Formats: sequence, structure tokens, C-alpha cells
Amino acid sequence: MSTNDSLIGRAIADWVDRRAAGEHPALDEYCAQYPDIAAELRPQLEAFESMSGRVTADLPAAASRIPDQLSGYRVVKELGSGGMGSVYLAMDDKLGRPVAIKMLAARHQANERLRERFLQEARALAKLSHPNIVRIYGLGPDHEPPHFVMEYVEGRPFTDAVAKLSLMERMRLLLPVVRAVEFLHRRSFVHRDLKPANILVDQTFETKVVDFGLALEVENESEGRLTRSGEALGTPWYMSPEQVRGEHVDARTDVFSLGVVLYEMLTGSPPFRERDWQAQVRSVCEVEPALPRRLNREVPGALQDICLQALEKDANRRYATAAELARDLERFLAGEPVLAAPSSYAVRAAAQIRAHQEEIERWQADHVVLPLEYERLKHAYAKLSEREDSWILEARSLSLPQVALYFGGWMLLAGALLVSLLQRSGWNGPAAAVLVWVAAAVPLALGVRYWRERRLRIAIGFLLSFCLMLPFAWLFTLPAFPQREQWEPLLRWKDFRRVWDLRLITNAQLWWALLLSMPAYFGLRRFTRAPVFSLLMAVSMALLSIVTLLRLGMLEWLSEDTGRVFLNLLPAAFVFFASGFALERSGKSSDAGYFYPVGVGFTLLGLSGLAGFHDPYAQWLKETFPFTRGQVEYLFLINAGIYLVLQELCDRFGTDLLKRVGRAFRFVLPGHVLGSLLFLGMSASVQQKWQAEARLFEVLLPLVAAGFVFVSIPKQMKNFFAMGLLFFAIGVIRLANDWLSNQAAWPLVLVVCGTGLMLLAANYARVFLKFRRGK
Amino acid sequence: MDAQTTSYELIERFRSGDQEAFAVLYERYRARLTVLIHYRMGEALSQRYEVSDLLQEVFLRASTDLQRFEYQAPGSFFRWLARIAGHVIVDAARHEDRAKRDGGVAVRFRSESNPGGHEPVDSLTPSRVLREGEDVARLLSRLDALPEDYRTVILLSKFEGLATAAVAERMGRTREQVALLLHRALKRYRELT
Repeated sequence: MSTNDSLIGRAIADWVDRRAAGEHPALDEYCAQYPDIAAELRPQLEAFESMSGRVTADLPAAASRIPDQLSGYRVVKELGSGGMGSVYLAMDDKLGRPVAIKMLAARHQANERLRERFLQEARALAKLSHPNIVRIYGLGPDHEPPHFVMEYVEGRPFTDAVAKLSLMERMRLLLPVVRAVEFLHRRSFVHRDLKPANILVDQTFETKVVDFGLALEVENESEGRLTRSGEALGTPWYMSPEQVRGEHVDARTDVFSLGVVLYEMLTGSPPFRERDWQAQVRSVCEVEPALPRRLNREVPGALQDICLQALEKDANRRYATAAELARDLERFLAGEPVLAAPSSYAVRAAAQIRAHQEEIERWQADHVVLPLEYERLKHAYAKLSEREDSWILEARSLSLPQVALYFGGWMLLAGALLVSLLQRSGWNGPAAAVLVWVAAAVPLALGVRYWRERRLRIAIGFLLSFCLMLPFAWLFTLPAFPQREQWEPLLRWKDFRRVWDLRLITNAQLWWALLLSMPAYFGLRRFTRAPVFSLLMAVSMALLSIVTLLRLGMLEWLSEDTGRVFLNLLPAAFVFFASGFALERSGKSSDAGYFYPVGVGFTLLGLSGLAGFHDPYAQWLKETFPFTRGQVEYLFLINAGIYLVLQELCDRFGTDLLKRVGRAFRFVLPGHVLGSLLFLGMSASVQQKWQAEARLFEVLLPLVAAGFVFVSIPKQMKNFFAMGLLFFAIGVIRLANDWLSNQAAWPLVLVVCGTGLMLLAANYARVFLKFRRGK
Repeated sequence: MDAQTTSYELIERFRSGDQEAFAVLYERYRARLTVLIHYRMGEALSQRYEVSDLLQEVFLRASTDLQRFEYQAPGSFFRWLARIAGHVIVDAARHEDRAKRDGGVAVRFRSESNPGGHEPVDSLTPSRVLREGEDVARLLSRLDALPEDYRTVILLSKFEGLATAAVAERMGRTREQVALLLHRALKRYRELT
């Protein structure tokens, strides 16, 4: 048995399988896939097909003779032939120019329907006039075999022609091709067979799309598939998934084929190139193409995006039209960011991320990584898998249009701010309200429009400016509530107003403006699913909390009982923690990430303010623990205790973000404790009668600091370590200055202790074991 | 009528009253079914019936049952016809037994080879399709000349319309072996004239 025989056998078997599946593969094309064995394979398949006694007539074995004349043109030679028909080179002797003539294959000529379609299509195409589409001159007369005469393009296939050009030049050459295909689409033609051989480039580097719409397909709608009329399936390398599956094709099929051509221009070969049909179908339908940048490092990322977007397997994810593809190519050529956001990356990354995450879990289990490193890696991967928002990141990268957009938004906002705040701007009453609403509506309308066009990044820019304008608009619309005495005007500082001539805005107005803007933020968050609107919500809520305090009388408190302001911050902090926790629990970690920090900030601010300014707090301490004399440092120590409890609670609840909140509380702990000890010692040492207490704190400070240095180990808190070292040094210096000022041995003790500790550390294991044995 | 019109279309047309459509279907599957029936009939049956009789019966039944046929995929119509052919052969064999018991003779439809047979109920079928095509006769003689397993592999893959995996299963061989067998069978078939 020769290898050839088994090869042929396999090819025959594949053919049989396709026939059994009801397909009608074209003999020529099929054999062309096996160039080595074609000579032997072909008669075998012909024999197989001829057995039913009927198919014989369909086989192109009875190839028609080349006619001498068609439409009065002298036929010179055959340029090529496919299953559908042949293309001849003919001479127009009157005008002395060559023409190309496409003729329906002899075996199809008797097929009335096909013949009619062929002529109809030719008639329709003849009406098209586009510089990059081959022109049709005329239709053959009825008494001759069906054919039509078209422009003869003496060019080379696209990919050959552009081989020597730079990437940018190739793109500039591809653009008119895409535009030409778009032109076809607008006139409801689908080319169906775009490939480099059908995109010709002449000597002046003009491109022409040829052979369009002629891959006649007999549509059998009830069957839901397109049965090619016994015709050659074009080379399957450029066919879309829906095409190889025989499903309904539309303009997006051409987009896919253009994607393949683009891919070939970038990398040198089509993305799916299999030797046999079945492997090709599997590749096209299931396998993600290799990233162009992997094959050619010079391919810009944006171009790769465009290419992969055109090659999406699901037609719905592709560019909907060739026009969209063309526009993205233009954006690329203009140096603008492109809109393409292929799912390919996410698919690729998602598959990898799972594997990586599992690997990291194993690392953690095998102690390859420390728990802290493990958490960081996990976090980084979680971020990576939130690909949905990746374009937000890209929106932050600056490009000229991007910068112009943001700058415009900024100017708009500044204008609105001035109009709304300055009395003298002359804009007052309903006119001002209308002005600001219009100014807010413009970015909203643009934002929604761009969003619909899937230009997400720009849309977000516009929507954000709308969001920022919204409170101002409300501020103008709401009446100023001047009569209601209990609502304090926010800005009543007379001097300030004299300089700036500010408009009178009441707290109530501000409060309502912020509150009324919130539903819009919420709505946009749901509409766009962009967490940036959650940030806006968190910030608005923080402002709202402060304005609430203002409405409750914060300004009075500030002058009379400052501590009360801070006391009232604590419920607000709780609200933020609760919202954050609720959001995180409902799976919206990225939103929760904006609420927790505000909560932490409010807590720290509130507790610190309480300790520093709230008299009843100090009073309580003084009465309960008289030895503290109500000193503020003790209050800070109590705060530190609260933080200790809070961080423990956060760790207990154990969600990822709460753990980070816990870390934030842990972060401020050593500063609080050691700072308080330091200040307690300092304040005691100035009073003669508290010398003993001063000594106590002076000794306590370096001891506790040393303790902190070692406490840093279990939770890997580097700030415990750093703070411990710092305050140890301060404590030691204070000791040397104050209590031990005349003890020369003190520094020596430090040197000896330090050296001892280092030696101990160097020989830790041996000492440890000896110690254990001794026990 | 062109070769491109799918069986599905033809079936639908027949269902909506186009009698010509059925004639086209008949023409399309006649050769394959003839070969199939020929090899399924067996020695005893072929002495009493002609292939064309059974073929006639198959299409007669198909024409009345067609309303119930559900089109699923390309090729399903032929498999359906093949199934009917199976029933017709079994019924004919039963009839044969009974006829033997009753001491009577099998009643054959009227055909060119049996002008005295009773008129087939089927009036749809154009008479031309009754003519055993010369090409089919030649095909049968060539198939007959093939060795047993060569013939089987061709019958299964070509005339039963099975995929090679199914052929392999029926013949108890691997797909590789079937592929090679098919290659050799076709080669031999081509050598026969």
C-alpha cells in the first residue's frame, strides 16, 4: 500500500461524507485541494459520481469549446474558468482595446432560472459606476450563449501587488477597496467571493474589485441554506463561518472576507488555511486566529484590533457594514484611536485567566507565593477579567480628539459654573435655567448618539460632562427658598461675596440639586455599565452628606461646638460602608470600590475630629478615668483601639474589598499609638509633678515601637515596621536627652544590643534549636 | 426542470399539487433505487418480480405517503425512499410466501416485460420512467462483475448514501480501511467496461 493510495482513499472518503451530508462540492475545486494526487483522484470521483447515471451531465468533463466570437468581439483566449462559467479575453477590434467576457458555463445554460439570474445580476451590475469596481460594457444578445462584456483589468492580485509596500501604504490601498465593497453593499449586492485574486491592482496602483456578485447562489429559503449551483465554492480560505456552514450570507460576510485579506496583508498568510474542507470549516468556525502581532511585530495594535473585529466568528459582533470598517481604517490612518474592540482578546484572556488563576491557587497551596503576593496576583487577575470596562482605561490614554473632547467638556463646565455662581453674569431667572439645561442637554444627546454607534469612549466623555452639568441645571431650576429661615445660606461670608458677587444659593437648593441628579447617575450607570458613574454617585453622596450637615446647622456648630460636626460624620461613614458592602455582596465590586474609601475617609476624619474637638468626649474620659486628665492623646489611643476592632471586623467579613479597608485602618494604627505615646511623654515632662509619668512614657515609647517592629510580621504590615523603627529612634533619642542624659553607657548598650540582635538573626536556626534542646 | 432544484422544493411542489414535480423526483432517484432494490431483492424474489415492479411500488407508496414525510436534511428524502423500498421488498417476500402457500402466482403490475399485469394505480408516473434505462442496466452489470466487498462498499456509500463512518460500521472495518477499499473498488469499477 503506497502512501498515495491512502491519501487518495482519504480524499475519496471525505468526498463521500460530504455527499452523504447533502453537499454538492465542486469537483475542480475539490481536486485542486490535493494537487499531488489530483490526477488520480479526479477520475475516481468522476466514476463515483457517474454511477447514478444522472450526474454525468453535470460534470464539467464535457467542457465547452471556446467560442470564436461573442457580442461581436474576437475571443482571444480563456483567462480562467470556474464552476459557474469562464472568463475570456476578447478584442474589441473597432476600438482596439481588450475586453473581458464572462460566459455562463455550458452545462448551466439550459437552466432557465440560473440563466435569468445571471443576466439579471449582470444587468443590475451594469448600472454601477465606481472607479474601483470593474465596469460592465454590455450584455450578450439572446441568440448567443449567456455572457456579458466587461472592462479588462490588467492587474495583479492584491496581495502580490502590495508585497513591497509598507504597512501604511498597504492600508491606504486597501481603503478604496473597502469603500468599493461598501458601494456594492449600499446597492444591495453582496460580493460573496472577495479574495486577493478578485482584487486587482494595476501598474498605477489603482485597485479594482472584480468578479462580484457572480457567485450565483440558488437560495433555498425553506431549507435555510444556500446551495451553490453545483458551482465551485471559491477558495474556502476567505470564506466566512456562515458561508462555509451554508447559512444565509449578507454584507457582513464580505466584511469577514475583507478581514481575511487584511490579515493576509498584515501577516503574509490568511488566518485559516487548511488543506481539506472539513479542517477548514472547523478552523473558520471554531479556532481563534493567531494574533497578527504574534506573527509580525510591526503590526500596530489598532490595526490588529480592526482585523480581529472584522474576523469575529459571530456576524453580529463584526463591523455591521463595510462602511464601519472603512471608517475605522480611516481613523487608524489619521492616527485616531479606532473603535474596534474585538472579543477575541477577552476570549483568549478568559481562557488563560482561568488557567492562571488555578495555577496561582496551586502556588498558594504549594507555598510558592506568600499569602500577600497571592492576594495581589488574585486581585490583578480579577481586574484583568473585568474586560468589559477595559475601554475606560483606554479612554484615559490621551490622543488629540480625546484631549479636545475633555478640554471642551472642561470649558463647558467652567462656563456653567461661572454662569450659575456669579450674580453679575446677567443670566438670571428662567433664561439662565434654559441656557444651562441646553448646555447640559447637548452632551447628553451626543453621548447617547455615540453610545448607540458603539463609540463608547467618546460617548462616556460626553455623558460625564452631562453628569457634571446636571447639578448646576437643577440649581438654576429650583427656587432659592429665601423665605425659609431655618435653612442657612451656605455662602454668607459677606467679604467673600463682595469680591465675587456670588449668587445666593441656599443649602436646601444645593441639597435638592444633588439629590435630583442622582437618578441620572444611577440610570447612566445601568445604561452604560461603566463604573465611572458609580464614582460620580459616591462623590455626590459624599457632597450630599456634607450639605445635609450644613442644613442641620453645621456652620453654627463650627463656631460653637466643632466636635458635633465630626460626630455627625460618623453616621454618614456608616451609610457609605453599608452601601459599599451591599454593592460588593451583589457582585458589583468595582462600584463598591468607590464607596468604601469615602467611608474610610469619613471615619478617620470623624473620629480624629471627635478626639480633637468634641468636649463631651474629653469630659467623659476625664470623669471615667481621672488619671487621664481628659488629655486628647488618650482619646487618640481609644481611636486606635476602635481601628483595631474595625480592622479585625473587616478581616472577619472577609470580602476582598473589606480586607483592603481593614488594611487602611491598620495603616493608621501605629501612627496613632506611637504618636500619642510620644506626645503624652512630652506633655508630662514639662510639668515637674508628673515626672514619674514622663519617665513611664519615655520608656514605653521605644518598647512599644520595638513591639510594633515585630508585630509587622504576621500581616506583613510594612508601615508597622517603618513606624516602629522611626519611633524607636525618637524614643531612644528622647531617653538619651532626658532621663539618661548623664549615662555614657547608654549608647554603648544600644550598640551591643544591636550587634547581638544581628548575630542572633544570622544564627537564628542554630540558636533556636539549642534553645529548644535546652528546654 | 433543472438539476439544481432541490428535492425539498420538489416535494413541496408536489404537495401543493404539481404532478410534474413527482416525475422529476422519480427520475432523480430511479437509478439509485433500482440498484438498491436489485441487490436487496435476493435470488428467490428476483425470479418472480422485476426490479421495475418494485420500484413502481416504492414510488406509488411514496406518492401517497409523501404528505407525512418530514424533510430534515439533504439526503433524508432518499433515505426515506430506501426505507420504503425495504418495506416493499419485505411485503413482496411475504406475498410470495403466501402465494406459494395458496398455490397461486404472484400478481405483477403491468410493465413492458409483463403486459398482462394489472394496471398500476399510479397515474402520475410518466411512462418513460418505466423503461429500464440502458445506463442502469449497464451499471448493474458492472456492479455485478465486482468482487463482493467492492460492490458492498460502493452500494453503501453511493446507493445507500451513507457516510464512510456508517459504512465502516456496517462492514465492521475502520474508516481508513473503508477509504482504501473504496479507492480500490472505484479503480476496479473503472477498469470494467
